[in-house]
Amino acid sequence: MTDREILALYRKGGRHEAFRLLVQNYKERLYWHIRRMVLDHDDADDCLQNTFLKAWRSLDGFRGDAQLYTWLYRIATNETLSFLSRQQTRGEYTGLDAADRLSSDSWFDGNKLQTALYKAIAKLPPKQKAVFNLRYFEEMPYEKIAAVLETSEGALKASYHHAYEKVKAWVKEEMDAE
Amino acid sequence: MKEFDEHFEPLTEAGRADNPFRMPEGYIDSFEDRLMQRIAQEEAAPSERRRPIWSVLKPALTLAAMFALIFGMGYGVLSLTHTLDRGASTGAEGYATVEEQFIKPSSLINYYQMEGQAEEPEEIDEETLVDYLASSLSFADLADIYAQLY
Repeated sequence: MTDREILALYRKGGRHEAFRLLVQNYKERLYWHIRRMVLDHDDADDCLQNTFLKAWRSLDGFRGDAQLYTWLYRIATNETLSFLSRQQTRGEYTGLDAADRLSSDSWFDGNKLQTALYKAIAKLPPKQKAVFNLRYFEEMPYEKIAAVLETSEGALKASYHHAYEKVKAWVKEEMDAE
Repeated sequence: MKEFDEHFEPLTEAGRADNPFRMPEGYIDSFEDRLMQRIAQEEAAPSERRRPIWSVLKPALTLAAMFALIFGMGYGVLSLTHTLDRGASTGAEGYATVEEQFIKPSSLINYYQMEGQAEEPEEIDEETLVDYLASSLSFADLADIYAQLY
């Protein structure tokens, strides 16, 4: 079922059924988007649930100016960035600590290179991390990333370029050290 | 990503092609059920925890009462010092008030009193007059004055 059909069903009164279909369509890709940001499965689960709860609460006001896909990615990204920000404010472990735990994480099977990559990504500032992940892993066009993050394409390209160079240098450093 | 250089190319493949993360078995399949359950709980929660009207209105009423108290105190102070009465007078009433309270009792009366005092002739005794005339006029001038007078 397409996004338009889901929205039509929702507006005709089949709210729960339409929302369930929406969750089915997007849960997995949003999960991976969030998981690459927070690294930990339980944190990703919390953020994903909060994302869909917010979507449920505000779906009545969704006018269709943006695509449902973009809208959901925006909610998920903002929710994840808020989560990371709260963690930093509370002084709880940061992305860097989480990256260090990757090696012992039972839900992570990466090799040395992959571990080095995710450790490097974890060092990026949160918003730059979102730009890098959306472009690098999901190969999302800049135009769509701009819609998700509500920023200009020019700024995104610059941000991605800086992030890319930093990640590359950190990965090389990590690999050379071993 | 064509822009990745040689050093990063193996990493690109490793990073993107093979997802190193795993999720607990059955997690994603059961996600909707858990989410919909949470939504159902959330929808039921507001009616159970509905707050009484007094607790909802209490902050607004407290604020209104504080505002009324401050206003009342300010009004009382202004009334006691008659600032409001003075401020409210306009037109002829206002001029009368100003004249009565500020001009009449003070500057105008004093001014006229001073002017009147200045016009009253000063009494000069005869000896002083003779001394003045003798010192300031010549004998010829005195002779002329005497001729005019007598």
